[in-house]
Amino acid sequence: MNKKKSVNYAKFGYIFSIPFVVAYLIFQLYPVLYTVVIGFTDLEGLTTPVSSMHILSNPFQNFIDILKGSGAGSFRLCLFNTVVMWVCNFIPQIALALLLTAWFTDDRSKIKGQGLFKVLFYLPNIITAASVAILFQAFLSYPIGPLNSIRSSILSTFSSNFDGKGYNFLNNKAFTRGVVSFIQFWMWYGNTMVLLIAGVIGIDPAIFEAAQIDGASRTQTFFKITIPCIRTILLYVLVTSMIGGLNMFDIPHLLNRGGPDGATTTTAVYIYKQAFQNPRYQYNKAAAASIIMFVIIMILTLCLFYILRDKDEEELKKLRKKERKALKHQA
Amino acid sequence: MSSQSLSKSRDSFLIKVVVYVVCIILAIISIMPFWIMLVNATRNSEQISSHPISLIPSSHLIDNKNVFEKKPSFQPVTGFINSFIVSTGATVCALYFSSLTAYALSAYEWKLRDGFFKFIMGVMMIPAQCTMIGFFKMIYSLHLTNNLMILIIPAVASPAVVFFMRQYLQSSLSMEIVQSARIDGAGEFRTFNSIVLPIMKPALATQAIFIYVGTWNELFRPLVILTEGSKKTMPIMVSLLNGDIYRVEYGAIYLGLAITILPLIVVYIILSKYIVSGVSLGAVK
Amino acid sequence: MKKVIASALCLTMAAAMFAGCSKSSSKAKGEINLYTFTDEVVKMSEKYKELHPDFGYDFKVTQIATDGGGYQQALDAALAAGGADAPDIYAAEAAFVLKYAQGAASEFAAPYEDLGIDVNAKIQEAGIAQYTVEIGTRPSDGKVVGLGYQATGGCMIYRADIAQEVFGTDDPAAIKDVVGGGSGNWDKFWEAAEQLKAKGYGIVSGDGDIWHSVENSSSSGWIKDGKLNIAPEREAFMDMSKKLKDNDYHNDTQDWQEGWYADMNGTGPKGVFAFFGPAWLINYTLGEHGADQAGNYRVTEPPVGFFWGGTWILASKYAAEASDEKKAAIADFITWITLDTSDEGLQYLWANGKMNENGTKDCVASSVVMDKSDGKSDFLGGQNMFEYFVPANAGANGKCLTESDENINTIWRDQVRQYTAGEKSKEEAIADFKSAVNEQLGIPS
Repeated sequence: MNKKKSVNYAKFGYIFSIPFVVAYLIFQLYPVLYTVVIGFTDLEGLTTPVSSMHILSNPFQNFIDILKGSGAGSFRLCLFNTVVMWVCNFIPQIALALLLTAWFTDDRSKIKGQGLFKVLFYLPNIITAASVAILFQAFLSYPIGPLNSIRSSILSTFSSNFDGKGYNFLNNKAFTRGVVSFIQFWMWYGNTMVLLIAGVIGIDPAIFEAAQIDGASRTQTFFKITIPCIRTILLYVLVTSMIGGLNMFDIPHLLNRGGPDGATTTTAVYIYKQAFQNPRYQYNKAAAASIIMFVIIMILTLCLFYILRDKDEEELKKLRKKERKALKHQA
Repeated sequence: MSSQSLSKSRDSFLIKVVVYVVCIILAIISIMPFWIMLVNATRNSEQISSHPISLIPSSHLIDNKNVFEKKPSFQPVTGFINSFIVSTGATVCALYFSSLTAYALSAYEWKLRDGFFKFIMGVMMIPAQCTMIGFFKMIYSLHLTNNLMILIIPAVASPAVVFFMRQYLQSSLSMEIVQSARIDGAGEFRTFNSIVLPIMKPALATQAIFIYVGTWNELFRPLVILTEGSKKTMPIMVSLLNGDIYRVEYGAIYLGLAITILPLIVVYIILSKYIVSGVSLGAVK
Repeated sequence: MKKVIASALCLTMAAAMFAGCSKSSSKAKGEINLYTFTDEVVKMSEKYKELHPDFGYDFKVTQIATDGGGYQQALDAALAAGGADAPDIYAAEAAFVLKYAQGAASEFAAPYEDLGIDVNAKIQEAGIAQYTVEIGTRPSDGKVVGLGYQATGGCMIYRADIAQEVFGTDDPAAIKDVVGGGSGNWDKFWEAAEQLKAKGYGIVSGDGDIWHSVENSSSSGWIKDGKLNIAPEREAFMDMSKKLKDNDYHNDTQDWQEGWYADMNGTGPKGVFAFFGPAWLINYTLGEHGADQAGNYRVTEPPVGFFWGGTWILASKYAAEASDEKKAAIADFITWITLDTSDEGLQYLWANGKMNENGTKDCVASSVVMDKSDGKSDFLGGQNMFEYFVPANAGANGKCLTESDENINTIWRDQVRQYTAGEKSKEEAIADFKSAVNEQLGIPS
């Protein structure tokens, strides 16, 4: 009896997954397989039929070609750009989102207008990347522009021999990278905060009450109770921010076309340029670069899962135990 | 004792000041771009090119609107309807089926479960730029272009949403509720619809906003797939305002961008109550 | 409160949406698929139907913006897929026309003669600008697969008030001598720049203004025998750009950005004397962004001749496989745009400002049409611009173009800017340019 029941329920696991699997097989499997396969072939050009492509004599030749260069415009440089810009927005973004979550979910110090703040902080995410890029270009425009006006009014106050000329901010590599990181940070911290708050709202309020009764301070409550309780959501936030950040495309592409001097060309922009903007349509190189990125992201994700693993596993085990117990009970 | 509590209250006062200052600064930089966009929608190209950013509205709103009339490809009603269909359809598909899949992943024990979850995680990591090539090739060779469904149905398989819903369920779904529903004789499917989905409300609301915004603003995929005038979405129409690549009518473009954003703000305001107050799970238990 | 905001937004939306349009579909013999990135071609298809009520076919227009390569992506996919939705006629811009006329996608194009157009005779008869024919000729079989309607030979467009103040005259012939118009070198241009600087003016807005002149007059293209090739003229552009910057001869703007537009209107940091461009630059860009300077611009011959931009019209191989009746209709429409010299032909209407609501005039490819057209423009203070543009069109050549130009130019200009801004040495900039071209485009040096 007992066994029969649990087999029965397992069936629903499969049934409920069917829509996802079917939609995936129909719409995404072909494009993915296509990408994986052509990464090992000589497929180039718009009109070359897929049937006429060949697996390269060294199947990894495309990967070698991509990885060997280290000069301007190379994949390695793009990877470096991506990592630099990602780290510079990822860490402040998570830190600020956690801080805001702590502030807004703290029952003891009710922050007035927090509803409005929460709503406002997410707003930057609503604007399209194209609009954001246009607005920031306008803000940084050269030789005359808002930031240049601020700069020259400061310089003319503090320095007597200021020549009055504007500064081309978007021609400065470090500055442009900083701008891309800032935009990413600004667009996404609200999103991260909303997710974390949703996680905290899901926690049983009784836990917080108990903590308060036990005399835990706010900081203690946040680190000892809130964070462990939203661990699963935190894992989601970290993993998706990482995937999104390492595949960063819109802003670097639209703000300054991956420039100046290729400083904001991310790997996603590199892939896009190879596949779509190159009149030779180097699909194979683009596919190989995608596979490399996939491997890198996978390794990093596994690390995150490993770091945040313990509790996850424990909870799962607990759930399973409970279910078994309940089944026994029923039986 | 009393001095201690006094210093404590001074500390918490200081903390509050810091909190408010930070929040107000963040709020201002969040609103700024919207204001600048609206202001620029009232300025003409000359004004914008000589002073790209201004905080004071001008008087060219009507002129900018008149530019639309000279562009036969700009049909806001059609654009809104198409965008609405695509965004709503994709959001509903993604939310419902992802929740279902997530429920399968967290409520049942089945042999392939862990493998399936790993597969979903893997799928999520594939860079979007590259699968585009194969996707477009497939859509065009099957002659499925200009079909809004092509932008809606694939949302059924949204790995990131599944991942989120699974994580959410793991932290907030207690199997006892499910068990008691079973004891009451509810079928698995009904349990999901009438008990699990309501529990997931905060998660559904936040994801709904993300998906809606993402689909509404999406440009590249619709741009390539929806080539017929009557099927174009709002962002494509705005991109066509730039139709003559030699001519940049900034004011009209800003107006187009501002109009495109308005419905999103409406949707956001409607859903934001879940973000603001959330749904207390204590009541369910 | 929230409700108030929401309903206010709804009202605004509704107010913004009243521009609905309805299209009536008439009974037609069939549809002709037309792919374009510009609404110019859309307007042409409407005008053509208006002038030829018995045409009998409907145009099914697909207009896609060039944003992020969307147009080419959709066009490529549609061409490769074929079938009922395959493009019959498509437009290509100068930046990417070579891909469709000579390069990777040229096999999809149908020679004009396969549509039944007696193309070579008509080109002679209409006196079509030679460079537009060169660009539209497919090298694999030497046949014409695309022709443009514009002629985009470039001139120097300068401000009369500055000319008057600095050189004592605004007469185009005199200014031509001042800047060494038609001399083939830049010596007098630099002298003029020094004179302008003395009075606080810049000679151009940014280095992009002279780049097109350098690019399209150089002795060889970017690619030679499959390898990257830097023509001496293009390498010299680095020094020109540096000279402009170091001597403060310009406002250091980038083309197509706000600063550049501001200079057209005279609102930049310092007044700018001249822009270099074809007639379309006057109509679309200067006219739009330089409204305060209307009537103050004049046109004269540039030191070095060039051309810039343009749109070409191609027919696909699917059009050539269509029924004779449809093929003839397509041929008639294409002929009307590219080869018809009558007063009802597109080029005459185009040149004389009868296609645009604001009546701006433009140069067209046919010299026969140009001869009978009048280029008097109020924006140019009543000057007949064709006087200088017609010879400019004759001087343009399309021989050193490659299909990778758009991409290579972007990388090149970026590296030149780095050098000019003092971020790196000339040698480093060239080395990085070569490396980036090889890594991103697969073209070795």
